[in-house]
Amino acid sequence: MTRLPYRRLGAAMFIAALTLALAACGGQEYPNSTFIRNTEINTDIIALWDRILFMGTLVFIFVEGLLIYTIFRFRAKPNTPMPKPVHGNVTLEIVWTLLPVLILIPIAVPTVKTIFKTQAPAAADALQVEVYGHQWWWEFRYPQYGVTTASELYLPAGKTVAFTLRTVDVLHSFWTPALAGKRDLISNKTNYMWYTPDAKLAEDAFNGFCTEYCGSSHANMRFRVYTTTPENFESWAAHQKLSAAGSPAALAATASADSAAKKAPARAAIIPTPAPVPVSNVGYIFPESKLKSHNVPHTPIPASLTFDDALLASADAAAGHALVTNIANLGKAPCLTCHIIKGEGAMLNLSDNGAKGPNLTHVGTRHTFAGGLFPTNAANMARWIKNAQVMKPGATMNTFGIGEYSALIKAKVTAGLTDKEIADIVAYLMSLK
Amino acid sequence: MATTAAPAPINTPAGTSYAPGEATGIWSWLTTVDHKRIGTLYLWTALTFFIVAGIEAFIIRLQLMKPNNQLVSAEMYNQLFTMHGTTMVFLVIMPLSAAFFNYLIPLQIGARDVAFPRLNAFSYWVYLFGGIFMTVPIFFNVAPNGGWFGYAPLTTMQFSGGLNIDFWVIGLQILGVSSLAAAFNFITTIINMRAPGMSLMRMPIFTWMSFVVQFLLILAFPAITIALFFLQFDRFFGTQFYEIAAGADPLLWQHLFWVFGHPEVYILILPAFGLVSEILPTFSKKPLFGYNVMVYSGIMIGFLGFGVWAHHMFAVGMGATADTIFAMATLLIGIPTGVKIFNWVATMWGGNIRFTVAMKFAISLVALFTIGGISGVMHSSPPTDLQQTDTYFIVAHFHYVLFGGSIMGIMGGIYFYYPKIFGRYMSEKLGNWHFWSFFVGMNMTFFPMHYAGMLGMPRRIYTYDIGQGWEQFNLWSTVGALLQGVGLICFVYNFVKSRKRGEVAPNDAWGAGTLEWSIPSPPPDYNFAKIPYVTSRYPLWDIKQPEMTAELTHTAPDAGVIADAHAVPMHEETQYYTAKSLGIPMPFPTIKPLFAALFMVLMMAGLVFIHLDLFWVAIFVMIGSGAAFVGSLYGWLTSPLE
Repeated sequence: MTRLPYRRLGAAMFIAALTLALAACGGQEYPNSTFIRNTEINTDIIALWDRILFMGTLVFIFVEGLLIYTIFRFRAKPNTPMPKPVHGNVTLEIVWTLLPVLILIPIAVPTVKTIFKTQAPAAADALQVEVYGHQWWWEFRYPQYGVTTASELYLPAGKTVAFTLRTVDVLHSFWTPALAGKRDLISNKTNYMWYTPDAKLAEDAFNGFCTEYCGSSHANMRFRVYTTTPENFESWAAHQKLSAAGSPAALAATASADSAAKKAPARAAIIPTPAPVPVSNVGYIFPESKLKSHNVPHTPIPASLTFDDALLASADAAAGHALVTNIANLGKAPCLTCHIIKGEGAMLNLSDNGAKGPNLTHVGTRHTFAGGLFPTNAANMARWIKNAQVMKPGATMNTFGIGEYSALIKAKVTAGLTDKEIADIVAYLMSLK
Repeated sequence: MATTAAPAPINTPAGTSYAPGEATGIWSWLTTVDHKRIGTLYLWTALTFFIVAGIEAFIIRLQLMKPNNQLVSAEMYNQLFTMHGTTMVFLVIMPLSAAFFNYLIPLQIGARDVAFPRLNAFSYWVYLFGGIFMTVPIFFNVAPNGGWFGYAPLTTMQFSGGLNIDFWVIGLQILGVSSLAAAFNFITTIINMRAPGMSLMRMPIFTWMSFVVQFLLILAFPAITIALFFLQFDRFFGTQFYEIAAGADPLLWQHLFWVFGHPEVYILILPAFGLVSEILPTFSKKPLFGYNVMVYSGIMIGFLGFGVWAHHMFAVGMGATADTIFAMATLLIGIPTGVKIFNWVATMWGGNIRFTVAMKFAISLVALFTIGGISGVMHSSPPTDLQQTDTYFIVAHFHYVLFGGSIMGIMGGIYFYYPKIFGRYMSEKLGNWHFWSFFVGMNMTFFPMHYAGMLGMPRRIYTYDIGQGWEQFNLWSTVGALLQGVGLICFVYNFVKSRKRGEVAPNDAWGAGTLEWSIPSPPPDYNFAKIPYVTSRYPLWDIKQPEMTAELTHTAPDAGVIADAHAVPMHEETQYYTAKSLGIPMPFPTIKPLFAALFMVLMMAGLVFIHLDLFWVAIFVMIGSGAAFVGSLYGWLTSPLE
């Protein structure tokens, strides 16, 4: 077929237009859109993008239009004379070499300006946040507040946050599309990035993703950013800094602490401790009611991982506390060899840099866990402890459920925790608010 | 000198895909040193890998069709996307280009073969065995899974302790040997073996683009070879180039890789540019507009291509100055590329355009590469790139330039040169089904990815949650993939069946102007019975359509000059003869390059046994194969070529 097939061409263009149209007005939310001016950085990026898009559209219309016009106008028709064999034209060559230059200069100049503006050193009074990437979860430290947490980043709206980005293992990349561009986490290197969430974002939640392929669960390495009012932020930070509920230090700090704990805090880990005291003031927590559907993970739980959920309702948090924090139980429940619960496990002397798992001191206040992969609730947490690898491919946390197959050691677990014990532990962890 | 008696032509039924008198059978293929046969082998093998990588992509698209899908595990997905990229780049597009380098370059420059025919065969067999070495592991769930650019430290033993990355590192080293050997071969061929009268600026534009590519290959591959050697030694011999605990900087890998990686993408596109530059003039009935500029812009692109590599690294924190330099260099390289687009449009302008399938593919490259180029300019600005890099926006960009550019251009080249290679035309009807399925399907798959990326979808994720705003785009992409699958089936069927049932093709299947169309289809093993003296850039048009080349500089030498150059005046050859009757010495077919390739690959592959805890097996295989390799090489080098 050497004649232009109009019908086919028309069909193709229709389908293409349909594609675009449906994509544009799908009526669904785009919560991770990079086109929202939520920070000054994003505002700058969008301004540059708008200009490049405009130039790109001009080029597109011009070039494609010229192309389509050419193939229509000069299609072979019967009785057309032989075309003139033109070999070139110097003037045209000069014109269309300079034309791209004219397009590129208005892109180049603001590009350079924006590079230097957005990579200038952060303001001296910025909020400092240290980001540590792990395979496959996010650790956040606030050195100015003495807070270490995971998976969820609280930021005060209207205040500049200066990030220091590090990884403890492979490359990762820190990205909240709706807030700013990304920056990679490079092993043996520290990267810096800053932005200022707009002051009007008094109670908003944003999704964050790892954007540098980092192995098995790269897709599952997620986090949330909660922007809050500065007062709520202070409230949150002040509470997150405290030792864990039920820990000797926390008990000593509360008015109803008994004198025995006060007199011998160092030996408290060996002596069975009293049951955890329900925390009355947990500081500001981003309200669950303000979470949108897209902020809540809907990761499916593997059907093969069963758990007797009835045990969760009747679980004994005190027994869970003993299992986790009593050194005598370390062989069975070695939680504190990888996780920090502030105020517990003093004998283990685990530091932030030595902890292989997320800080659990206030895990009960987090809406998600396991690298932002599951909503924090007893049922999910129980299954996680029972067999983390089934929940999250490649997870480096041990499998504890007796009889479960551990992909980590490639064998069935014989010495571990029963469902009842796991339920108790979960009750304790959920009480860590 | 001419033989004393006129050689007798061989009469054969027309339309056999073997030239008359040629040896047939599998042994003739295993021992061939004929550039046309080797080019054909590259073509078949690369198209097979294209199907393999296409299936991998299809499974990826099925997995991503809906959120939280569980069609494949995370581990298998990571192997699939790694192998899809690695296969498409190293086992499909580069070898498809090599198929054309092999087949066309000697024919276009009026030579009888390449400078080193046995090295040529060696390159092919190394590619085949290396490709098999890298592809088989996926069936055992140990395929490479570090992404096609294998960033350290993920690919070090500490984080990838299995065999997966070993296959990747060793496989790429093997393929590097194949490409480098071929590059030296073609550079020598083009510099030394052009027909008399063919100055460099009279070479067909495809040969020019290929010439530039060979230099890119020999200058770029050393960088990745070094990067891979470092990784190989880290993984097998305890060095610490990328070991985090020893203080290594992962950016060492990235810089070394991308110093190769960026010229690599120009290696991937320039041959397709060359093919399009042959196709558009033919079906516009006009010469290529701005030949000189097309040559210079190709050289500029190759040269500037070495100065932009860190635009793949805008998110790693190189600092504002480095970001600026690479951003400006990247914007600059858009200029010679844009110039080519305009020259192609100007070629068609004022012409009589025939919309054969080959022409449709060539035009689609111009249209689709423009889109890929525009998104490329968007990436070139670091601040905006920080929202785009490592997202589906990038995936959209490179598929527009690699699929919309390289693949569409190469497909055009296949339809265009199929009659020359096999003596028959491919079916235009099936070709149209193929073209439209690919064109519509490709846009349907990759255009929505621009949106998905800018709306927050990261790359290389095996699944995503509901409600993130990406479902619709992923669904469209998968539907487009289905459509492309339809096109692929049409193409494969067309390719296979047209060998025996396509319409018989003459010498000059399309009315083109270069030397390869002046000899029979398929060409005899000696290519040219008599090497012609080349009088202009389009020697065939000089004798068949002289008005096309009237304004070009010609040499119209006298009989003395022609005889001095051992050539004859430009002519068409329509008869087949035997090389013997013409007094042309032909290289001996030989199995030695195949053995050399096999033993070299085994020698390198033997390293894997170390990680299977079979140290002495590794030593035995490596040393034994090494000895056999040296032996084959010795036999090859001490036996006469012809």
